[in-house]
Parts: sequence; C-alpha cells; structure tokens
Amino acid sequence: MNLFRSEAHVDRWLGGRLPGATLPVMKLSELAHSWWDDRLSPQWTPHARDHNQAILQRLGLVDRFWQLGK
Amino acid sequence: MTPDDVKLRNDTYQLFVDLGRAPSAGEVSAATTSTPSEVLDGWQRLHLEHALVLNRSGSEIRMANPFSAVPTAYRVRTGGRWWYANCAWDAFGICAALHSDGRIEASCPDCGDPLAVTVRDGRPDVTSLVFHCLVPAAQWWEDIVFT
Repeated sequence: MNLFRSEAHVDRWLGGRLPGATLPVMKLSELAHSWWDDRLSPQWTPHARDHNQAILQRLGLVDRFWQLGK
Repeated sequence: MTPDDVKLRNDTYQLFVDLGRAPSAGEVSAATTSTPSEVLDGWQRLHLEHALVLNRSGSEIRMANPFSAVPTAYRVRTGGRWWYANCAWDAFGICAALHSDGRIEASCPDCGDPLAVTVRDGRPDVTSLVFHCLVPAAQWWEDIVFT
C-alpha cells in the first residue's frame, strides 16, 4: 500500500503486473481517518467485518477489489 | 475476543503511544496485573484475531496497526515524535488515531523522489499524489506484512 507521485509512476512501478486499486491521496486520507479514528480509544472494541465494509462503501469503494475477506 | 483480551489490546496500544515504540511483554506486564507469560499468550490470541501482529517468533509486536514496531519507508511526525507506519494508509492512520495534525515523509516507490505531506484537520496539503493498493481486500491478511 504505497504512495506515488502520480498514476504514471504507478504504471511504471507495476511493470506489467496486474494493477490493484488506485485512489487520490485525498480519498486515502478520508479512508484512513474513518478506519483508524477509534484505535486509541479506551472504549475500543473490535470492528466487525460489516462495520469495516460499511466504511469502504461509504467512500464509494464498492467494487470486488474492496470486498473484505470473511 | 474476550473482554480481558480487549483490555490487554487497549493497554498494549496505550503503552505503545506512551513509550513511542512497541512495548515488550515485560513492560505490559509491569503496567498491568498480567504476568509476562499471560501477556504473550494474550498477544498470540490477538494476533490470530488480527488485532495486532507479532513477529515470526511470536515474542514481540511487529505491528500495532497503524503503528509499526520496526523502521519502514513511511515516517510520520506528530505529537512531538516520529513514528513509523506500516504503509501509506497507516501513515494517515497515525494522524487519525492520535487525532492530531502531522507530517508524512516517504519516497515514491517508482522514482525514489522524496514525498512529504502535511495533514491538517484530516486533509493532506498535497492533492497530486496517488495511493496504490496492490492486494485485493479479501487477501490482505494472507500476508499482512507484504500487503
């Protein structure tokens, strides 16, 4: 899960490998803040899979690539 | 996950932040009512639940996501300290978890040029960068260090 200068740099880095998913850095920041916001809360409890999937869905990450494992 | 394991996980994370690095089992033991052996047994259960990641020998923390216990290519300056993140996602996650602004430093894996992003109120100051996730979500935990 890496940060690149641009999509052209991603393509060059892949070098013919199948691409995964590419997001703008603004979207990544939204995702990270939704995903990790509660990690240091003294009231933290484990996220259920559905909870995490809902975070992805809320950000429009709905295609098969973003379907979490069981 | 049992309430005792949730408490162990939360105590471990709190100590990670207090120390600015991954705590040892002995340090967690000293801060709680558990013995070092009980801490290690609990960490093993938390590892299996993906609540933290242990090293290969199972004796030390490798990841308390979003924090990395070992140096990585993603450094984050926030709260007066430098932290290592496991990946780009986790670098932003450290600012999120600490509820603080920060500065992320990394380098482009393609060209090696340095990248620096300031995060203020949850928003990066550079919008031209892109994030690439190679592994589909369903496979993230097959090899979380590679992911």
